[in-house]
Amino acid sequence: MFQPESMSRLLIVASKQQLEPVITELYRMNIFHIDDYIEKGDDEWEGFRIGMPLAGADVTSAALVKIRSIASAFGISKDDISESEHSSILELKRRIEQDLPAIAEEVEKLLANRNKLESATKEYEQKIDSLRPFTDAPAPLELLQGFDTISFIAGYAKEPVNLSVPHEKWESPSKTSNLTILAVKNSDVSTAERELLDFQFQKIQIPQESGSASQVIQEYEQKIRELKKEIAGISAQMETIKNRHEFFLMSSEEFLTGDVEQAEAPLRFATSEHAFSVTGWVPSSKVSKVFENMDKVCAGKVYVSELDVEDYNEMPPVEYHNPDFAHPTELFMDLYSRPRYTELDPSLLMAIVFPIMFGLILGDVGYGAVLLVMSLGLRSLVRGSEAGMQLIAILRNCSISSIFFGIFFAEIFGFSLPWEPFWLSRHINIGGSGAAEHGVAAAEHVSHIPQLLVLSIWIGILHITLARLWGVRNAAVMDKGHHRSLKMFANIGWIMVMWGILIAIWANFAIPLMPDLSGTPELFAGLNISTITGVVILVLGLALIARENVLDLMEVPTIISNVLSYTRLIAVGLSSVAIAMVTNFIAIDMIINPQLANLSIVGIVLIIAGLVVFLFGHTLNTALGLLGGGLHPLRLHYVEFFTKFYRGGGKKYSPFGMIRKLTEQN
Amino acid sequence: MAAETMTVEVAQASAAGLKAIGAGLAVGLSGFGAGIGEMGIGAAAMGAVAENKDMFGIALLFTVLPETIVIFGLVVALLLMFQ
Repeated sequence: MFQPESMSRLLIVASKQQLEPVITELYRMNIFHIDDYIEKGDDEWEGFRIGMPLAGADVTSAALVKIRSIASAFGISKDDISESEHSSILELKRRIEQDLPAIAEEVEKLLANRNKLESATKEYEQKIDSLRPFTDAPAPLELLQGFDTISFIAGYAKEPVNLSVPHEKWESPSKTSNLTILAVKNSDVSTAERELLDFQFQKIQIPQESGSASQVIQEYEQKIRELKKEIAGISAQMETIKNRHEFFLMSSEEFLTGDVEQAEAPLRFATSEHAFSVTGWVPSSKVSKVFENMDKVCAGKVYVSELDVEDYNEMPPVEYHNPDFAHPTELFMDLYSRPRYTELDPSLLMAIVFPIMFGLILGDVGYGAVLLVMSLGLRSLVRGSEAGMQLIAILRNCSISSIFFGIFFAEIFGFSLPWEPFWLSRHINIGGSGAAEHGVAAAEHVSHIPQLLVLSIWIGILHITLARLWGVRNAAVMDKGHHRSLKMFANIGWIMVMWGILIAIWANFAIPLMPDLSGTPELFAGLNISTITGVVILVLGLALIARENVLDLMEVPTIISNVLSYTRLIAVGLSSVAIAMVTNFIAIDMIINPQLANLSIVGIVLIIAGLVVFLFGHTLNTALGLLGGGLHPLRLHYVEFFTKFYRGGGKKYSPFGMIRKLTEQN
Repeated sequence: MAAETMTVEVAQASAAGLKAIGAGLAVGLSGFGAGIGEMGIGAAAMGAVAENKDMFGIALLFTVLPETIVIFGLVVALLLMFQ
């Protein structure tokens, strides 16, 4: 909780005979995060080189490439396969050797055939395109070419053509440009072509065909139909192959991927002539398991030892260690940057605060219910994608929070629920007194907008104070030497400046929901004790900030803008309330109700139009609410919260191994 | 003269009207400013996302940064209208 999984660094050394069993076992355990060996020429590692892949790696890779190319031709992926059954490794190995070449050959043949047919189809289509202008030509196509003394020129001209050389012409007038076919003597061709330029003549090729163009087109179309039938036949054949071998292909893809990764693992190890060594990270709770299993597979001929860690700040890979509830929020953390090993991991807090902020913005039972149904409905769509599942889980939590706050604010689709809002109301009086007669009766209630704004400012103050306290903690753990205490005190300084300003404000103005210190006795020059206390705290805070870095004083005004930024929680929420109420007012009070009072045929059409307005408005508002309710809390976390303490840049823990979905562990 | 004909009711109504105009200006002008701000960022963010899809999260974040100004405008407007 608030801390990543604790990691231990292990060193494994053995003779090269043990290389394969060690790799296989590490891969099977899927907990060892390998630190890649880099040849740096250190004295400590003198004589060690990066290892060579295990024998057979190239063969396996070749088979894998073949399978992947077939899979991409079929467009199948691992996510589409049901995980109900598993292939046994022995059976897979046998089939990869026996069946795969035949399948690959068949698929290749079919693919080549299909390509050939498809390109033939394209060729015919092009020919048809070039024939189309000549469908109403005056003569069969074979008569328009191949004479010794006469040439034909065909093309489009904007206006009727007139040449100085002897010629015969045929024109087919149309709106945009005339198709013109000219017959001229061979000796006059160049003159004719030059003169044709004046008529903006666009020459087209006369197709080398015989018969009338429309007949030829029909023939070709027939051929295309035949080709398409053949292509469909091949596609059907491929579909049957796909259905028959889908599971085999994907499970052998998984198996071979594992094989290749294992075969290439020595590239990450340090090896000498007869031995190898590898360092890596394992969750501390699983260290003893590694010791045991290594000992077992190598029959004791392996040296495993836990290494001391010099600098926890940089080195260990980071794996989240949160209760299930906070897992979805890790998506937002990774989007920003994974926490470092020693730093506080705020996922859990974010998992709690984010939905609350969302609910404050979109506190409406109706919208919450729509989003909840949406999140449940989308679950099956994103199956297989972890980020998608996380996002859906966040949406689900947020919509529940939205329903909760909707009950609190007594709102449903902008209408009021039949009870008074608890504590603070955000019902706005839209549509004036007229609206009060229909549904929106509670619009007449007093709204507590200033109080709500102050509430959101309180959230900001507490959120930022917490961020600064965590800043102190992170500085204490992660920084060293003189800088460490400076940084810790600077964070305390920021808290003091903020609270100093607050006390000074309270001392002079009475603000709802905040302490009122304006009644404290005056000390001198019209300033009361509270003002002076506030200013003293403020100045002390400034001094602490300046000790770390004087330039940071420039940033002091951001305290105010950061805290005020939290008012968006209420402001954005109110805008969504306003849109909902306006939609209701337009759809119901302005369009539907007057028609209901005096029903007519036109009235029914108008009522339907009113319903459309109603649906459109609320759909739009749901989308806006989802966007606003999601983005603004995210931004408050990233910009206002994280910048105070969060450093990020941790390495992701990616253990050597895989989660097998389709194959059995051997 | 207008001053002579101005009754208490007229004065109250025009005060309320000015409040509404002020609120409108606060939201409208701040929205305009944020729009100008987001213009450049949005275009650059689109470019970045087109180059590298992983940038989406950060790009979105940068794009909505200037929105704070509108929020301030909205808060001012709300305070004007409801206090």
